Amino acid sequence: MSQPLRAVKIWDLPVRLFHWNLVGLLAFLVWSGKTGGNAMEYHMYAGYWVLALVLFRVMWGFAGSTHARFANFLAGPGRAIAFAKKLMSKAPAPVAGHNPLGGWMVLVLLLSLLVQTGTGLFSNDDIAAEGPLFALVSKGLSDRLSTIHSWNFNLLLLLTALHVIAVLFHLLVKKENLVTAMFTGVKTLDVSADGTGIPVTRFVSAWRSLALFVLAIVAVYLIVKRPF
Amino acid sequence: MKKKVLMGAIALAIGAGVSLQASAQVKPETLVKQRQAVMTLQGKYFGPIGAMVQAKMPWDAAVVARNAGYLEALSKMPWDGFQPVTAEVKDTDAKPEIYKESDKFRAESQKLETETAKLAAAARSGDQNAVKTAFGEVGKACKSCHDDFRVKR
Repeated sequence: MSQPLRAVKIWDLPVRLFHWNLVGLLAFLVWSGKTGGNAMEYHMYAGYWVLALVLFRVMWGFAGSTHARFANFLAGPGRAIAFAKKLMSKAPAPVAGHNPLGGWMVLVLLLSLLVQTGTGLFSNDDIAAEGPLFALVSKGLSDRLSTIHSWNFNLLLLLTALHVIAVLFHLLVKKENLVTAMFTGVKTLDVSADGTGIPVTRFVSAWRSLALFVLAIVAVYLIVKRPF
Repeated sequence: MKKKVLMGAIALAIGAGVSLQASAQVKPETLVKQRQAVMTLQGKYFGPIGAMVQAKMPWDAAVVARNAGYLEALSKMPWDGFQPVTAEVKDTDAKPEIYKESDKFRAESQKLETETAKLAAAARSGDQNAVKTAFGEVGKACKSCHDDFRVKR
């Protein structure tokens, strides 16, 4: 029995650029954070970019294309559990956007990234590296925030590992290639599976994403440089 | 009377002996405080070089050379304070592994001395790029030892 599979554009360019920029930045941040020394200067620049990306992604979660919106991919616990049960069965269960579990992972990852970049601004390493807002807090508070920075780093690694394992699970067990979809933006969907046909996706103008990203960069600049 | 004098002399001799021993043996708490003081001063003289290297402060070659000279001496000072008796002291972030992996600890401490000597040489030469490179290497030496032998706070 052949199923009506169709290639459907799901992820807009801003979501894809956000994702792969983040991958590259995180790799660099892990390396520079572990190395220390002069790499710390660039560790901080990379951190500012991550903060700008995350701020942008939060705005895009409210004002972006259909599948970028929180309202579209944050499911209630009932739906998440139902989906998890279906996931363990043999039946393929491709979802147009983020699935009910993946949606929550997106939110948790974004929150963890906010905690990581937020604490990083106030952190110090007791050697020579001080975040740009270190001067605003006491040494004791900075030390506590630095501790959160290093604990949350471990959490972030754990979440990233979980995310990669989930993607591999979809690839190897469910035969769904989510990696290519995140590059091309296109998913192959069984458009008859739930009887709703091709999911309706409204793509927002690239200009809006550019405007929001510039806004995010300005916000980060003001936070870091505090010109006022 | 004679006996009293003799007893007094013995008591004095014992007292002197005890006090001699006390001054020769530095208390573990004191050793911890001393090595922490060295680390504090290292921070004091290292920080401004970092600010200048990252252009957060105007470059002052005289301050760089002076600080790097102090650091070269300071880099040799903490290590004899890391004695196994100090493992009992509560108020320290030094991990007990220091005394179990003493070869590794010694290698890390020597790394700091070597890199700090290079920083001092670069500072004397007045070459800003060389100072920046050497500064980074000293920072890395601090960090790798902290990562291995200092309690994460």
